Amino acid sequence: MKTAITITVNGERHSLEVKPNSTLVDVLRDQLGLRGTKKGCGEGKCGSCTVLLDGLPVSSCILLAVQADGREVVTIEGLGERGRPHPLQKAFVERGAVQCGYCTPGMIVTAKALLESNPSPDERIVRKAIAGNLCRCTGYTKIVDAILSLADRGSELVKREKEDGS
Amino acid sequence: MSDLQVMGKSYPQIDAMEKAMGKTTFVSDLVLPNMLYGRILRSPFPHAKILNINTAKARALPGVKAVVTYNDTPGIPFGPRTEDWTIFAKDKVRFFGDEVAAVAAIDEDTAEEALDLIQVEYEELPFVTDPVEALKPGAPLVHEDRPNNIAAEFRIEAGDVDEALSKSDFVYEDRYQTNQVYQAYLEPMGGIADVDISGRVTLWAGTQIPNMSRMTYAKALGLAPDDIRIIVPDYGGGFGGKFETNVHLIAIVLAQKTGRPVRVFNTRYDDFIAGNPRVPMYIDIKIGATEEGLLTGKEVKVIGAAGARVVYAQAIVSTACYRVDSLYRFKNVRATGYTVYTNTVPTGCFRGFGNAQMTFVLESALDTIAEALSIDPAELRKKNAIGPNETSVHGWEIKSCALRECISKATEAANWAEKRKKRKKFKGIGIACCNHVSGNRPFAREFDGGSGIVRIGRDGRVLVFHGESDMGQGQKTAFAQIVAERLGVPLEMVHVAQVDTDISPFGCGSFASRGTVMGGHGVLAAAEDAFRQLAEIVAAKLEANPDDVVCRDGKFFIKGSPDTAIPFKDVADQAATLRHGAPIVGVGFYDPPTVLPDPETKYGNISPVYPFACHIAEVEVDPDNGVVEVTNYVAAHDSGKVVNPMAIEGQIDGGVLQGMGWALMENMVVKDGRLVNPDFLDYLVPTAMDAPRVNKILVEPIDPNGPYGAKGIGEPALNPVTAAIGNAIYDATGIRMKELPITPEKILARLKEGRKE
Repeated sequence: MKTAITITVNGERHSLEVKPNSTLVDVLRDQLGLRGTKKGCGEGKCGSCTVLLDGLPVSSCILLAVQADGREVVTIEGLGERGRPHPLQKAFVERGAVQCGYCTPGMIVTAKALLESNPSPDERIVRKAIAGNLCRCTGYTKIVDAILSLADRGSELVKREKEDGS
Repeated sequence: MSDLQVMGKSYPQIDAMEKAMGKTTFVSDLVLPNMLYGRILRSPFPHAKILNINTAKARALPGVKAVVTYNDTPGIPFGPRTEDWTIFAKDKVRFFGDEVAAVAAIDEDTAEEALDLIQVEYEELPFVTDPVEALKPGAPLVHEDRPNNIAAEFRIEAGDVDEALSKSDFVYEDRYQTNQVYQAYLEPMGGIADVDISGRVTLWAGTQIPNMSRMTYAKALGLAPDDIRIIVPDYGGGFGGKFETNVHLIAIVLAQKTGRPVRVFNTRYDDFIAGNPRVPMYIDIKIGATEEGLLTGKEVKVIGAAGARVVYAQAIVSTACYRVDSLYRFKNVRATGYTVYTNTVPTGCFRGFGNAQMTFVLESALDTIAEALSIDPAELRKKNAIGPNETSVHGWEIKSCALRECISKATEAANWAEKRKKRKKFKGIGIACCNHVSGNRPFAREFDGGSGIVRIGRDGRVLVFHGESDMGQGQKTAFAQIVAERLGVPLEMVHVAQVDTDISPFGCGSFASRGTVMGGHGVLAAAEDAFRQLAEIVAAKLEANPDDVVCRDGKFFIKGSPDTAIPFKDVADQAATLRHGAPIVGVGFYDPPTVLPDPETKYGNISPVYPFACHIAEVEVDPDNGVVEVTNYVAAHDSGKVVNPMAIEGQIDGGVLQGMGWALMENMVVKDGRLVNPDFLDYLVPTAMDAPRVNKILVEPIDPNGPYGAKGIGEPALNPVTAAIGNAIYDATGIRMKELPITPEKILARLKEGRKE
């Protein structure tokens, strides 16, 4: 038995038939072919599957697809396009915040939500915002710096860079 | 070396943008037409006889295409080190998580439902989970043919330890315990297998050792290695955990059975209970010193748990026994190692490979010695540090070595001297050093070098083939930099091919921090070969000697005449045209100047280069709740010439945090033979909130044996962390913690006891 839902993903409306127990991540990956969203634990504990639901970061592996009915979803594929990456994608790349890259989509999506709600977070706020996104490669430092590099003001790092003239 | 164009400069990983855009196809993102989904039924008991397996109901479930057990496999014993593996349990299960049966179905849900329908009758057996208990007479036997549960013994001795210890002014003796921890790579282990009509297998897998695992898998399946093709797409981390696994073999068996591609990935739970976590060890150490602080002799006994079958535990235990002997100027050392079967998850490689365990013990012991002799711990280490152009007690030929400079620079950066003087209650500072290898001669049997193929496209684009494995550490980028440097082309002209055993050269794989040195030398030799061929074309055109041809920034010219330049792409195009389409292909290999250790004495030279490091941790301990905060961290590394500063910083940041997790929070807790914390809620790994900013210092001696002078970094980034933190906690509290992890509970208990030991 399947349920009909309508979700808007990265600006595109989709009418889908989903199993009532299908998670959002599985529908995104398997039915819509959006495999940029990763599955790391399936239990909402690693953040690899983070997407934005009506602008807020959620773990799409513990959300049923039917719960997204009528709502708006943004995945990593909805940020930037070939040749024109989102500033966060550019910052992550340029600052060495990407190693294996498995956590990266969830991390970037979480950072996007943070910067939209708080354009000038300090380091503590950044670290808190991404505390639900595990990364085992980078030690987080370059990720934090990549996000802070986009903060409008307030972070010591950004101030220091401005003082350095860089 | 000063005119390097690409080497030594910071570049993002060459595929970072693909990853940041979500475009990279990781191995678990792959979908093949007609693909089935496999799931594994695992043992619910740590030790039990299998009386009967009834798969009839599972087979009858609509959507199930195959249910397989031991009887569906060739039943050939195999294993990477000891042939104590079978693809599925034969007549008994040996650990909680052991493979019993597997299902292939049209989707994950159906496969999972089918698992519940497999009926297995077990007769529970007494079990043993602790390696010390397992050695005792009368302990349950994990393998009936292995008396006392001993999987392997290792002995090494040099000099006269007994005399050295008896003549020492101070001798320290103690027992330490290192725990079992999980690599926790973000993408669980797994793969997709397909079998063609001739029976040839293709396996897409995230594996650190594509070529070596192919040999192990071939044996298990009764095939020849060339009957199996392994393709390694991008995958989400390894840290030592992704070597051979039954998960891959089960995917192949299911594909053979169904004639369809089958995808089998561990769930996170399965990965916790049946991955290959770190070898837990009991380590006894006895170490002496003169009153001046010179180390006299050392004896260690290591008891390590292999778990229910040997993955790499015996090599890891032997590494624990003697690798640290080449960190200092030891003359008299003796070690005994026992690799012991237990009814627990099979243990494997994890960043540090045994050296990390022993580094915790040795570097903790050195602090105790320093205190007893009233010598500054940093000075004690400097006094004993091995130096450049020295041969260690086991024959290791150290070429470059900046260990002393690492100690000096780390202590300076941490303001060590002043902080050690001004003691503040519950604030402490600790130091630890480490050595490591870049390649391990006895680990790879026939050879330990590297090889590469470099193909020059008609438009001058360069494609590099290697047989190692980039698990995310940036190996592809390092290889591209090395090749770009040698050919004299911009980095963006160089691309690195996916590892495919049908196309790539054989590579031993990514372990022993060997990628940059062995694989790097391999692709460097290939670039050298390609360059020679291109230089001949250029020389003919410019009527010069090929030896005088140079290339800079994508332009060929004759030494001394940079004004008459020919673009690289024009030469590439001309070469392909002249040769009717045949591209210029450079093939090369590296035969490292290593010496296979003598089987008896273990005297030899296991690696062409040896990296070193010194770490300093500062901590604050909360006496009310026992929580340790790492307030400052300095990591000074000698990894030779740095290929890519930004990448090596990322390796150090990641290694330090992984070590910190091990030191303070990570622990696989086994009760009644079962892992009780198989998820990220109960098995805590550090988050961004826990991570300190690491002050990274790179000392760069040019090693004559490294490609452009480079050495490895992966494991030395982690090795000293547990000891540096443990020593800082001792400095803060007077409590010497001899068991990892150092949890708040343990600290609180010891603070309450109010005693030092």
